Amino acid sequence: MATARIPLADRPGARAALRRNWELVWSDGLGRVGVILLAAVAVIAVLGPVLFPFDPKAVGRTAADILQPPSAQHWLGTDELGRDVFRATLAGSRISLLIGLTATAISILVGAVIGLVAGYYPGWPDSVLMRVTDFFLVMPTLPLVIALAALFGQSLGIIILVIGLTGWPSTARIVRSQVLSLRERQFVVRVRSLGASDLRIVGSHILPNVLPLIFANTVLVIAGSILSEATLAFLGLGDPVHVSWGTMLHFAFVSGATGRGAWWYFLPPGFGIVLVVLGFTLFGHTLDRILNPRLRERG
Amino acid sequence: MFRAGYLARKAGQLAVTLFAVVTFNFILFRVLPGDPLQLIARSGHLPPEAVARLRALFGLDRPLLVQFWYYLRNLSHAQFGFSFTYRRPVSSILAERMTNTIILLGAATVFIVLVGVGLGVFAAARRGSRADSGTVVTALVFWSLPTFWTGMILVFLLGVWLHAFPISGITTPGATYSSWFDQTTDVVSHIFLPTVTLALVDIGQFILITRSSLVDVLTEDYILTAKAKGLSRRNVVWRHGVRNALLPVITASALYISLVVGGAIQVETVFSWPGMGRLIYDAVLRRDYPVLEACFLIFAVTVILANLASDLLYPVLDPRVRET
Amino acid sequence: MMRARTVAALLMAALLVLTGCTRSAKTGSTSLRVGWSSEPDTMNPLTTYSTEAQEVLQLVYDKLTEYDSSLKPEPGLATSFEYSSDGLSITYDLRDGVKWHDGQPFTSADVKFTFDLIHDQNLSEYGQWLTDMTSVDTPDASTVVVNFSKPQAFNPGLSIPILPEHIWSGKSADDIQKFANDQPIGTGPYTFVQWKQGESLTIKRNDSWWGPEPAATQVIFVLYGNEDVMAQALRAGEVDVLTEVPPTIWDGLSGVENVAAVSIPSFSFHHIGFNMSTDPKSQGNPLILDQTVRQALAYALDRNQLVQLALAGHGQPGSVLLPPAFGDWELKIPADQQMNANPDQANQLLDAAGYKDTNGDGVREAPDGSPLEFRLIAIESTTVDVRAAELFRDAAAKVGIKLDLQTMDENTLGKTVYNTTDWDIFVWGWDSGVADPDYMLGIVLCSQIGGNNDIYYCNKQYDQLYDQQATTVDEAARMNIVHQMQQDFYDSAGYIVMWYQDKLQAYRTDTWTGWVQTPGGMVFNFTRDNYLNVTPVAA
Repeated sequence: MATARIPLADRPGARAALRRNWELVWSDGLGRVGVILLAAVAVIAVLGPVLFPFDPKAVGRTAADILQPPSAQHWLGTDELGRDVFRATLAGSRISLLIGLTATAISILVGAVIGLVAGYYPGWPDSVLMRVTDFFLVMPTLPLVIALAALFGQSLGIIILVIGLTGWPSTARIVRSQVLSLRERQFVVRVRSLGASDLRIVGSHILPNVLPLIFANTVLVIAGSILSEATLAFLGLGDPVHVSWGTMLHFAFVSGATGRGAWWYFLPPGFGIVLVVLGFTLFGHTLDRILNPRLRERG
Repeated sequence: MFRAGYLARKAGQLAVTLFAVVTFNFILFRVLPGDPLQLIARSGHLPPEAVARLRALFGLDRPLLVQFWYYLRNLSHAQFGFSFTYRRPVSSILAERMTNTIILLGAATVFIVLVGVGLGVFAAARRGSRADSGTVVTALVFWSLPTFWTGMILVFLLGVWLHAFPISGITTPGATYSSWFDQTTDVVSHIFLPTVTLALVDIGQFILITRSSLVDVLTEDYILTAKAKGLSRRNVVWRHGVRNALLPVITASALYISLVVGGAIQVETVFSWPGMGRLIYDAVLRRDYPVLEACFLIFAVTVILANLASDLLYPVLDPRVRET
Repeated sequence: MMRARTVAALLMAALLVLTGCTRSAKTGSTSLRVGWSSEPDTMNPLTTYSTEAQEVLQLVYDKLTEYDSSLKPEPGLATSFEYSSDGLSITYDLRDGVKWHDGQPFTSADVKFTFDLIHDQNLSEYGQWLTDMTSVDTPDASTVVVNFSKPQAFNPGLSIPILPEHIWSGKSADDIQKFANDQPIGTGPYTFVQWKQGESLTIKRNDSWWGPEPAATQVIFVLYGNEDVMAQALRAGEVDVLTEVPPTIWDGLSGVENVAAVSIPSFSFHHIGFNMSTDPKSQGNPLILDQTVRQALAYALDRNQLVQLALAGHGQPGSVLLPPAFGDWELKIPADQQMNANPDQANQLLDAAGYKDTNGDGVREAPDGSPLEFRLIAIESTTVDVRAAELFRDAAAKVGIKLDLQTMDENTLGKTVYNTTDWDIFVWGWDSGVADPDYMLGIVLCSQIGGNNDIYYCNKQYDQLYDQQATTVDEAARMNIVHQMQQDFYDSAGYIVMWYQDKLQAYRTDTWTGWVQTPGGMVFNFTRDNYLNVTPVAA
């Protein structure tokens, strides 16, 4: 019971647990690949545009500059405006990741809060919130996201909001079921009977035990958000001002790059998306196995 | 088998969710910063009076609550209203599009189940081996592929480069067929690429789900007992393991519909497949509210029913899990 | 486990084998296949607003007078027509022995019915040609006399499809709006067969048509969800001609074997528009009402650069309201007299009018201190417009005018521009409804405010000239008026016309031959002659 009053980060158990989990991830083959991929993407996104900046205004001058194959001057050729595809890909990584991460933050926040409240207060708050969650699970996501983006505009902010507000149900469900089971555990019951406030219980007892699960879920939600942005942009609903991997693929498609065999235009952004999503997926998949004890034993 | 109370509760939840969906639909598509009929005037082909007449015809100049009332009343008669774009009953547009999408989804589902579940069983039975990790990695890679990009690659490789498959439509335009077989092969050749594209992502998911649930089951006590009794591995895996392992797969199938709708939109766009996915996309851009409302409703209802079916099916299949 | 995979492998192999057999599906060599990326909305000529629908309907229905492949009138259902001496009536001599597709005979009663219907209910775009109509007489079954209160410069017989009375009579205005006309019955060279929505539309030759028999026994319009795939289909020989191809894809078709990519002057333009509403409640920036500011912006912009960069070179720099496809009707202003690509002149104008940059921020201010800063809106999905807007913004900045660019969807922009005055400058485009200058000129009439007039332009003199040209039958005299109107509007700089885009089309050279490159397009144009005149390439 004494542990209840010590903040999370200072608990010797917590830090050791983090280390242990990290080692488990790293020692797993797939987990390691995932981490490496993520690290590579992070380096590309942070350093790439610094070393090879992209100027969206650096358009070609004549028709001969358009959709050119890779050359010494343009390592990955040019796009339909005559701009350098290599630099565009590097710049696009930032936008794709930015949207993915920010949208996920919104999803996780909303999902976690809803899950916490629903799990901790059974009865009508739970019922109502779960109906709402089920409702969002039932609505077909992509059409809904398309509709929202088409209706409210295509700015970066709206896209992030729209993806964020449709990606939370899975988090809510996971958090809720974990909170439900935690609520009935002995130490929580005892602390409640001692008169601790709800907020404190949630903050000190429930949240620390839910966080690892939320984290694992977050990683997978990020993968989903990045895919959502790419799909939205491909369908023409992305932000036309900022270059992202999704918008590159959109313009590749509508300017006929596929038909003209301009593989240098539509392969790199696609690979980028696959690698990022794969990285998060491998990492999340491994985390899931580690944190879910049943799977770990049998594994 | 089921308590009356359980069924009644489920029915009640169903009704509430349905009503919520209907209302949400209506609010989403009517409270908009846009007037679909304005586009018409600009193209230079209709005078303002005709536009005004259209607006009145569709009740766009009435207060929202009145519109909502008409909408609900029409729904109760299974009338989905008039499409703004095509100026004909929505139901007449939906019929053919739905058939096309169902064909595509049907083909994809067969593919997914055969390959996904099959590979999942394969991997679980060889748990721990390199074949197993190879399959898992493949599954994860498939799961990370954006559907539309896969489509573009397939179009490029197999359609443009190799000329092995047609890349758009359901049939060759203007073709005359000398036999029923010819027509079927034409359709099959057109459906191949879209099916594979649509299926690939979900195959990954099904492999993983099947594998993990089968792994769970295979280490259950009763399986160990069966093994101890000397039953062959195939017997153990198939008869005892797979049947029970299919339960989470069935649950996943209910959610699969939500996912596959998104995939269908992308595939139908890349391959010009005349289905509902494409219809939704076009209707959103043209603000064709009646079509949109109908499509959303159909999808939502399908998912709700699928969830209900899996909820009801689960206790039937697994005697251990009964609603108390 | 093994079995599942073997089964899958066998399936794949079987499919591959089968697809080899699909090449046996034959297409008739006398079928003309047209590819497009958007399909008709309805087969009802009185409610449609889609160009694709009109493309099909013009082959199913006849008009009294048709356009030939050089856009000159030629006989249609009327073998000849004559203006009365006072110019107030037109007499059409109708062809004998014409039958509707369902076998019923065609008579003057059908013409009267059609004209009366359109006039009484002011239906669709055709209504505007009959506003001055007073009555229609049918002295006999082969003669129609249409009477007007004022002389008509434009012959309505060129535009109005003739509908069968026995099918359309008795319908109220609401009925007509709801009438899908699924099996259109006309007198035209092709009869309607089938429309598979989302896929294709088929029409077949009418063997009892009154005109010379076209070579194509069938015309099939194939819908492609995406233009790249459509171009692929042309290359693969799946279709014979494409209605419209976007610039980069068109570039990819040049030089392809057996494919000809053509670039034809069109009847369309893209423009910048200014909010010239003089309503005191207008929320537009009042500085835009100063003609000097607008002219300065016109001078600052380099139309050539726009065509090169935004249109990839596929167009002509813009100036007046009528695109070059209109031929002599277009007023040709010499390059050195145009308000174009001259930032020095722009600066001079602004200096002389008292707009100076008093605080050194790069933006000029009016004498009262308000800055020359305006809102600029464009449709985000029209990439050429967005690019043009960006270039315009940069050009304006060089002469000390700040433009704040915001993109939005077409719907919202339309609503903003038409229903509110809360905007300053926008970018959009126009297509002409007919091959006659009347339509384009009529956009900016005072009476069109609330209708087509999107800039609240109101010049009484311009309106008077418009009425004059609409009732001047003598072509030379009319042309003078039309030129004068273009000059007046150009000087006011209500629009800055950016470019006249080329119509980019493509066709296979090894299937059909005889394509005439009519201004406005070989297909998707006011004339259907190419459909009627092309012949199969001799094997």
